[in-house]
Amino acid sequence: MTDTLPASPVISSRHVNFWFGEGDLKKQVLFDITMDVAAGEIVLLTGPSGSGKTTLLTLIGALRKVRDGELEVLSRHLHSATMDDFVQVRREIGFIFQQHNLLPFMTARQNVELMFQLHPEVSRSEASRLTAELLTSVGLGDRLDYHPARLSGGQKQRVAVARALVTGPSLILADEPTAALDSHSGRDVVTLLQELARNRSCPILMVTHDPRILDIADRIINMEDGRIHAVE
Amino acid sequence: MYSSFFVAWYQLSHNKVKLAVASAGVVVAVMLMLVQLGIRQGALDNSVAVARRVTADLVVVSPRTKTIFASAQFPRRLLYRLGSSEDVEEIGEMYMGQGRFRNPWNKLEFPVSMYGINPHSPMMNLPGIERFGKQLELTDRVLFDGLSRTNYGPVVEQLKEHGTLDVEVNLRKVRLIDSIEVGISINADGNLFMSPANFLRMFPDRKSGSVDLGLIRLRKGVNPEVVRDQLRHYVGQEAKLMTRDQLVDSEILFIRENAPLDFIFGMGAAVGFFIGFVVVYQILYTEVTNHMPQYATLKAMGFNDFYLLRMVVSQAMILSLLGYFPGFLMALGLYRVATNAIQMQFSMTAARAVAVFVLTLVMCGLSAMIAIRKVRTADPADVF
Repeated sequence: MTDTLPASPVISSRHVNFWFGEGDLKKQVLFDITMDVAAGEIVLLTGPSGSGKTTLLTLIGALRKVRDGELEVLSRHLHSATMDDFVQVRREIGFIFQQHNLLPFMTARQNVELMFQLHPEVSRSEASRLTAELLTSVGLGDRLDYHPARLSGGQKQRVAVARALVTGPSLILADEPTAALDSHSGRDVVTLLQELARNRSCPILMVTHDPRILDIADRIINMEDGRIHAVE
Repeated sequence: MYSSFFVAWYQLSHNKVKLAVASAGVVVAVMLMLVQLGIRQGALDNSVAVARRVTADLVVVSPRTKTIFASAQFPRRLLYRLGSSEDVEEIGEMYMGQGRFRNPWNKLEFPVSMYGINPHSPMMNLPGIERFGKQLELTDRVLFDGLSRTNYGPVVEQLKEHGTLDVEVNLRKVRLIDSIEVGISINADGNLFMSPANFLRMFPDRKSGSVDLGLIRLRKGVNPEVVRDQLRHYVGQEAKLMTRDQLVDSEILFIRENAPLDFIFGMGAAVGFFIGFVVVYQILYTEVTNHMPQYATLKAMGFNDFYLLRMVVSQAMILSLLGYFPGFLMALGLYRVATNAIQMQFSMTAARAVAVFVLTLVMCGLSAMIAIRKVRTADPADVF
C-alpha cells in the first residue's frame, strides 16, 4: 500500500504492538500494525468498538508509548522518545476530540488564541489576526467573544477544529469528531476539516464510525481485533 | 497573549460567587493572623511598658527579682554607696506594690499598681508628674492614671469636675489630686503615683529601708555598660545592676516565659493560616477536578505540566492578593476596636504586615502545591 505514495511518509508504523498491563493482566490490543500516512492524505480508521483504532491514534499522537515495534511520526522516532520529544510532537499535531473540551471560562477567541502560547515565535497581533480569520472561515465570525456555554454543539466543535488548525499543524488527528453532533452539523464539521486540510495540504488521520462521511477519505483502513483487516 | 496567569484569572473570575468565597477565606485568614499577632505584640509591649518608661541609665534590683511586677526588695543603703562614683549624677529609689482601690461608687475593691517615686525627678517617663511635685509631698496625696480601666469608676470625670476626689486605698483614705496619662498593661488595670512617704503610709508593713528599684542617672557621655561593671563591686551580692535595655529585655523574656502569649496567639494565627489553607485548597482542588478533561486536552495538545502548574499557582497567588488587602484593612479596624475596648494600644507594624503577606503567599502556595498533584495525574490519553 505504501508503494503508490511518495517517500517520507508523515506517519510510518512498522510492526507496532501495544498492550495494557503486565504479567497475568497483560492484554494486547494492537498486533503488528504496519501502515503509512503520506503528506496531504486523508485517511479514515474504521472498525467496531474495541478494535484498537483509538489506541492506535493515541500512539500516533504521542499520548502513549509504543511497547514494541517502530513508530515514526513527523520524523521523530516515538518508540524511543523522551517525554520532552513527546510534548514537541504533540505541538505539531492538531487534535480534534469527540468532546470539544474547550475551556469553559474562556471565549471562543481566547480558546483558539491560547494555542499560540505553544508558539511564542508568532507575534501577538499575528496570533489574533490568524485566530479571527480562522474562526470567521469556520462560520463563527459573529461568535468570537462567546463563551462555549453559549454555543451549540456544532459551533463548539467548529471552535475545536479552529483550535486544532490555527497554529498550522503538520498532521491532524481526529477521534470521532462527529459522534456528538447531529448528521447535519457533523457533515459540516467534516467538510470544513477537509477543505482546511486540503488548502494547507495537511494530512488527516480520523477515527470514525460514521458511514456518512466515508466519502471524504483518500483511503480507509479497517481494523478488527487489533489488526489491520482491510485497506480500501 | 494568554499566559498561564491570564488563563488563571479567567478561570477564577468566570464564577464570581466562587471567587468571592475563596477570597473571603483568605480575607479571614489574613485578618486572623494580623489580629492575633497584633494582640500578642500589644500584650508584650504593654507588659514591658513600665520598664520602657525608665529613663535612668542604670537600674538596681534585688538579685531575687525576676520581674519588676513581682519584685523582691533590697536594702536602700546599697544605693547610697553608689554616690561615691564620680560617674553617678543622681540616685533615685522606687517602691512598687499592688494595692486595693475601693471604687467610691460601687464600694468594691479592685487591685491597682502603686508606685512610690520622687515626684520632682522620677527618672521615669511619667508625663506631667513634675507639675504635681509640691502637692504630692503633702500627706496622702495621690496621682491617678487617666488611662486606667473603668473598674475604678468615673474617676477622671470627677477629677475634672471637682478638682479632687477622696478614695480609699489599702483601707486608708487618700486624696486623688489629678490624673496623668501613662497607660495600663496585662499586669495592671490601673496605676497610682505618689511620693515614697505616702507609699509607705499605704503599705504599713513595708520599711523605708527596702526598695524595689534603684534608679541611677549617669554623667553625660559615659558608657552605661562600662559604669555598670565598675559599680558592680559597690553592691556586691546584695543587689544587681542593669542597664535600661537589659531591664526591658529581661522583662520581655519574663513575659514570654511566664505568660503563654506566644502559644495562645501563635495558635490563633496558626488557626487563621489553616483556615485559609483549607479554603484555598478546596477551591483550587475543585477547580482542577472539574476541569480535568480540559487540562488533559491541553496536555494532549502539547502544553506541558509546568504550564498547568503555573496556572494553578497563579490562581493561588491571585487569591492571596485579593484576600490580603481587604483582610489588612479589616485588621486595622479591629486594632482600633480592640484599642478602645480594652484600653491597650494595638498598632500595625510594617514588619508584621510584610510577614503576614509572606505567610499568605506561603499559605496559598502550599494549597496550590497539593492541588497540583491532581493536575499531574491528568492523562492526555484519557481524552479519547
